[in-house]
Amino acid sequence: MPEESDRLEQAIRVLKEPAQIDSGLDRRVMAEIESVPLPGAWPHRFWMTLDWLKRGRPVRVSPLGGLAFTVGIAILVLFGREWMTPQEPGAPLATTAQGSVVQFVIVAPAASGVSLVGDFNDWSSAATPMRRVGGNGVWEVTVPLDAGRYRYAFLVDGSTWLRDPSAPPTLDDEFGRPGSVVTIGEL
Amino acid sequence: MGIHDVKGTSDAALVARVLAGETDAYAGLVARYRDRLGRYAVRMLGNEADAEDALQEAFVRGYRSLARCTDPDKFGAWLFAILINRCRTIGKQRARRQQLVVQDEAAVAKASVKHPEERSALRETIEWAVEQLSPTIREAFLLKHVEELSYDEMTTITGAKTSALKMRVARARQELQRLLEEAERAGRE
Amino acid sequence: MRTPTGQLALTFALATSLSAVAGPALGQDPRLEGRVPEPTRVEIEAVLDSALALELPTEPLVDRALEGASKGAAPDLILTAVRRLAAELLAARDAMGPKSSVPEIVAGASALRAGAEPEDLAYLRALRGNQTLTVATAVLADLVAVGVPVDTAVSAVIALAEATEDVEYLAFRRNVERDIALGASPVTALGVRLDAAAEFADRPLPQRPQRPRKP
Repeated sequence: MPEESDRLEQAIRVLKEPAQIDSGLDRRVMAEIESVPLPGAWPHRFWMTLDWLKRGRPVRVSPLGGLAFTVGIAILVLFGREWMTPQEPGAPLATTAQGSVVQFVIVAPAASGVSLVGDFNDWSSAATPMRRVGGNGVWEVTVPLDAGRYRYAFLVDGSTWLRDPSAPPTLDDEFGRPGSVVTIGEL
Repeated sequence: MGIHDVKGTSDAALVARVLAGETDAYAGLVARYRDRLGRYAVRMLGNEADAEDALQEAFVRGYRSLARCTDPDKFGAWLFAILINRCRTIGKQRARRQQLVVQDEAAVAKASVKHPEERSALRETIEWAVEQLSPTIREAFLLKHVEELSYDEMTTITGAKTSALKMRVARARQELQRLLEEAERAGRE
Repeated sequence: MRTPTGQLALTFALATSLSAVAGPALGQDPRLEGRVPEPTRVEIEAVLDSALALELPTEPLVDRALEGASKGAAPDLILTAVRRLAAELLAARDAMGPKSSVPEIVAGASALRAGAEPEDLAYLRALRGNQTLTVATAVLADLVAVGVPVDTAVSAVIALAEATEDVEYLAFRRNVERDIALGASPVTALGVRLDAAAEFADRPLPQRPQRPRKP
């Protein structure tokens, strides 16, 4: 009905009228910003390379995301064995009174040796070697973990660092190498 | 404070200056977007005090995460997304405030008037009607019809699918019409 | 009463230089020996000292140093990383309360690293009552790590905070990650899952920290 939509259109016109926010807000914002300076909070690269202004819109890619899913499906299809169900870190195999048992899996067909290195083994490259399963380059290891948040990565042949494609990445690779995180909640 | 040397400067250029260490340049962005973003905040939250809270938080968070603004040409849209989230959080809290003991009676009076018979001005009726919408559909309605975003833009900011957004906007229109009619009838009686 | 992590990192840097003058560090950890060059090891142990004095967990700091060593990072990079983490642990503990567990503090620090504000952590603490914050804050950090803008991630975690078990938080995060892996934009993926999961509890919410208002 024309009458009804007139009412609505009128309402929209009224709502579109600009607000008048007190300019004291500007002062409060700047005061808050200035009271909490963040020296060095911004990564140095943003200070030095302001040429992103000239570049086109940066594209966000998640290269391993798609791979993770593919790998997961591949494992299910190829093996179908119970323990090969892609267990994502954070979904423990078993939860015990002492903590949880987590399985870590990585596909690295060309590797001769893979070890799991992380917060839970003092970042020792020798403490937690992974074992190869089947003939398709799948490596696995299970580790008991107490509640906590653990950074880790896979070390292939003692030299190449890989993150775990099925786990969240670390927020920033502080040390120039990829990494992953697993979180175990308290029981 | 340097407002003079920000007039005419693009958002992207101001962002670059702030990231290079010239904190004061951010004031230019605040001044530029204060009223524009303020309109949404006031309409969404229904009162200026909460709107100013939301605005202040959004601007401060915008500053703190400025390095993560990947497309500084679209700073306004990026900041708007932050504001929408702030309004969601504050709005959720405010809906429960009436159950708690509140000291500022004027704010309570302003926030709690529900009945159209108590308002005579058209503006207040419209504001009341918008207030009655549930937050999710109110948000969709304001973004579509008042802020005039496209559904694509709304999806990008809110994460909701276009079909869901369209449904919310349609429901909002229905509800508002009903409420405005009801108010008019009540005014006549 | 928010403590800027930048200023805290400076505090930890100062503590380092003072301790080095005052005498042998109490925060010695045998694991660092041989893995980090001597001068840096001393400075790291000074940070551990300060952390101990502030009753902050030192294990995460040692872990971070060992990670840097293991990855062959430059010593000053390792030291900066340890100081930065120490500052974040302190800010997280201050925000989440003195009775916070170590896993909570570590996860809270990650959330701060991701861009959350200390007041977000404080609000989460108020919302979740006697449920732990470890998984909620970890999920916040993880969502940011897979591309969700921090502000959206904070909103989502807060929206779910009242009525969500830890295991549901993890399922939520996994679903979002899977959707992203399948090609959804991070915000869309989050929105879809949030719509399905969000519940509005019918309970008064605790007061949020107020900003200074105009007089």
